[in-house]
Amino acid sequence: MKLTTKFTLWYFGIMLFVLLIGGYIVYYEIQNKLSRVEVVRHQRLNDLIAGQVRAGGDYSNHPTRKRATVTPIPADSVPKGISTFYTRGIGWNVEFQENEYRLVVTSFYLIHGQWYRITTYSFIPSFYQLLPGVVDSFKWIFLLLLILVIVSAGLISKYILAPFKRTLRVIQSFDLKQKTAIRLPDTQTSEFRELNVFLQKMTEKAREDYRSLKEFTENTSHELQTPTAIIRGKLDLLMESDIRDEQAILIAETQNALERLSRIHSSLTLLTKLENHEYEADTTVCITQLTRETLNSFEELIQLKSLTLLTTIAEKVYVPLHPSLADLLLTNLIGNAIRHNVPPAEENGLIQVNLTRDGLIVVNTGRQPQVPTAELFERFKKGNSGSDSIGIGLAIVRQICDLSHFTIDYQYRAGFHCLAVGFTPRVVASKLLQNLSLPLHSRT
Amino acid sequence: MKVLIIEDNQELARNIRDFLAREGYICESCDTLEAAKEKLELFQYDCILLDIGLPDGNGISLLNIIRAEYKDSNVLIISAKNALDDKIIGLEKGADDYITKPFHLAELHARIRAVYRRKNLGGTNIVAFNEISLNTDTFEVRVGDHLLDTTPKEFDLLLYFIVNKNRVLSRQAIAAHLWGDYTDNLANFDFVYQHVKNLRRKISGAGGVDYISTVYGLGYKFNAQ
Repeated sequence: MKLTTKFTLWYFGIMLFVLLIGGYIVYYEIQNKLSRVEVVRHQRLNDLIAGQVRAGGDYSNHPTRKRATVTPIPADSVPKGISTFYTRGIGWNVEFQENEYRLVVTSFYLIHGQWYRITTYSFIPSFYQLLPGVVDSFKWIFLLLLILVIVSAGLISKYILAPFKRTLRVIQSFDLKQKTAIRLPDTQTSEFRELNVFLQKMTEKAREDYRSLKEFTENTSHELQTPTAIIRGKLDLLMESDIRDEQAILIAETQNALERLSRIHSSLTLLTKLENHEYEADTTVCITQLTRETLNSFEELIQLKSLTLLTTIAEKVYVPLHPSLADLLLTNLIGNAIRHNVPPAEENGLIQVNLTRDGLIVVNTGRQPQVPTAELFERFKKGNSGSDSIGIGLAIVRQICDLSHFTIDYQYRAGFHCLAVGFTPRVVASKLLQNLSLPLHSRT
Repeated sequence: MKVLIIEDNQELARNIRDFLAREGYICESCDTLEAAKEKLELFQYDCILLDIGLPDGNGISLLNIIRAEYKDSNVLIISAKNALDDKIIGLEKGADDYITKPFHLAELHARIRAVYRRKNLGGTNIVAFNEISLNTDTFEVRVGDHLLDTTPKEFDLLLYFIVNKNRVLSRQAIAAHLWGDYTDNLANFDFVYQHVKNLRRKISGAGGVDYISTVYGLGYKFNAQ
């Protein structure tokens, strides 16, 4: 819900509450005022009648007596301290022949030593007659306020929230890698100023952290690669000296471990770089061509392993991806399919590469993985613990897919490893695999 | 060939110097930009190995000077940062090749030879050894008069062997040379074995001498003697 809508709703609530109470007060005040005016008029009438009584004579048909009764009363039934009181209630209206709301004013007079009670009455609007008027008028007031609040909320919020919206736009376009600090618009509103100051600091801190992380990665890379290069060089030189067989084995084993070390290191550095979004795609890359090139470069390996290669490659498939990442993605996927290809008994191994506009599917024959396929995307997870690989290729593949908003799915079905990458959110990888028809001839 | 090694790490510089010295190259090394500038003013080098990260500045700045004033020298950048930017900038600024630490010395040597060949032999792109000759333009291998039917990888491998003749080449170095970075080299040793085997078979089949021998535990060697 929008902030403006929220504010407006709250205002409605408050308005309704105030108007209800206000309505009651208005009603009460009008009723009171009407009574008060009537009471004063009747008092004057009573005084007038009292004057007539004091003067003596017959006034029984006088207009003043139309709704008046004059009763002499004994002194002890006169209430103490008050000379006049009034009551309101339902009374019979002779003229209309029906009950109506009536105000009765009673006054006491001492005339020539005799106490008189003079009572006059008149009919006034009742609660039920006043209420519709009050409700009606408040209805109109409420309606008017409503329209005003809605219109003004829209206009005022546009004006007041403008700096906030500008800040929001700046933040949305903020990029950790940007070289300059963000520039937030000036505002007179103190809350927004506070927010801007905070955001300025936070983004600055984020940029700073990103820079130092990047620096750290680069430094580590530099500091570790140099000694590794030295060791490798020394081993290369040592190899050429006059050595015995057992020493050769030692050197070979050291070289293996060193190879592994350097490969793990460079892969981890690469993963960090990917996580830092150092390879943003600013153009699209022709994956059709890249797939063909990658397959070409692996052609000899495929032949060496006597693998059957089945391809269906759609023409002119472009995806938004950094060219280096596209290369990495394909090399890892196809390389894995070759390396971990274990043909079923007495048959040739098989690789199937399907490229469509929706995605890429790589299928290869292989052993049943010892862990669930989804876990193979984790770093240093290997389907076969005995294998020589490091187990980081798929982690890189997944990282690339995550970065590019591709979906990825890996399934093992009846002797086939099936890996799919979905290029569009419309067709996810798992759906690609569902629709996949496995090559029939070597299913075992 | 005269080589200048601009590298702040003494050990690494010595590795390179020792390795190249056996090829009969004259190697000099220095560890700062300033020292490098001095040497460049005084002597002429066929090849300059330039480390990007130097204590007194970025090697790229030196590249500008080299390209402006010492056009004939080949420049090979050595970088620990396998950063794409460095690579692109380096090659744009006129470096001839780029190699990332940690590298095999044989690989470095092959790269030096490759850039040297590209620039200095003036059109003749033939690498020859006894009866074997390789044309680096057409990727043709001849043994005597016999044209050998080799795959691109086998061609690469043979060239690598001949450039680094009389040296023990480890399977790692060969795998790294043939398949480059980012492939899981550890699992590629079988393929190295296959390629070497096929290459030897093809050369022998064409009547060539089988110069390549297996070095127990380590790898292979192209024996020139």
